[in-house]
Amino acid sequence: MPVITLKCYATLASYGPPGGELAVPESTDLAGLMGMLGIPPGEVKLRFVNGKQAKDDQVLAEGDRVGLFPPVGGG
Amino acid sequence: MQAEAILARMRSLAREEACAGGPPLHAVSEEHLTALSRETGHGIRDLQILALRHGITPARYLRNGRELSPADQERLLSSRAGLAGLGGLGGHLLESLARMGVGTILVADGDRFEESNLNRQLLSERDTLGMAKTEAARRRAAAINPAVEIRATSQSLDREGFRTLFREVGVVFDGLGGVAVKKLLLECAREMGVPLVTAAVAGWSCIVTTVLPGQPAPPDLFGEEGGAERHLGCLAPAIALAAAVQCSEGALILCGKDPSLAGRMLAADLACGSFEIFEL
Repeated sequence: MPVITLKCYATLASYGPPGGELAVPESTDLAGLMGMLGIPPGEVKLRFVNGKQAKDDQVLAEGDRVGLFPPVGGG
Repeated sequence: MQAEAILARMRSLAREEACAGGPPLHAVSEEHLTALSRETGHGIRDLQILALRHGITPARYLRNGRELSPADQERLLSSRAGLAGLGGLGGHLLESLARMGVGTILVADGDRFEESNLNRQLLSERDTLGMAKTEAARRRAAAINPAVEIRATSQSLDREGFRTLFREVGVVFDGLGGVAVKKLLLECAREMGVPLVTAAVAGWSCIVTTVLPGQPAPPDLFGEEGGAERHLGCLAPAIALAAAVQCSEGALILCGKDPSLAGRMLAADLACGSFEIFEL
């Protein structure tokens, strides 16, 4: 199973794996990852894989770095 | 008094300051510039610019060292920046922009300080509770650097207000709070073709990005409702970090240099020492 690094920001932090690494089943895409973690899709505003914006159907590979952001607007 | 005569006075008043790795600098003190301003009727900003053009450094800028050349410093003094919002981000931005010597800052905020601002908003103090944020900004800038002119609008801006702001400045800093109004500011920046340095904070986390005209930026960068800050609050260190990065980006733009976060987003989570750059 590919091991990815996942960083969940702000209110999503509690969904992140301890230590930041997570093994996911082969062919898991971003939507599948969020489903696995129980993150309601509406709570994620920006999603990145390896530093670039990604869509829900992007399939994750070994070593991928995923970043998820909720809406943030404080000042 | 003519410029040549003023310059001669300035030269006679300037003192030599050692400068590591280079020839000594000639520096003119705040006290002497203030006296010259009174004597000649010229504004402090004009006198600072005159000095810089002729190899004299206003002493207040000595520690800007080689990273800001006299030409850079003159550009900052001659520039106009917009600052929407004078809360957490806005207060720290105002502080840094005034110290950097950004000549004219158009500020807009319709709020007055209240106790819940004290955790992070630099311009809020026990003594300024109830004071209009624009008034506190004016006082703070005057206390730091009399070369900086504050033009204040003491109301929250709507779309037309943002458009007017963008027409008058070289860069706009987003010091606003709330996803909806930040989204509106971003839309106006893109419509008006003016650089925007924007940031948002929730808890220990912040994001910062620079939106240049014509460059892609996600229209939903902040979301439309329900920002995470409503649950997590906004902590002083995350605010200070975001505003510091914003100020650097804007100063680079005003100096005619490339900002480092155009089309990219810095995301920091100070609770776990995480700093990442994402492409937008």
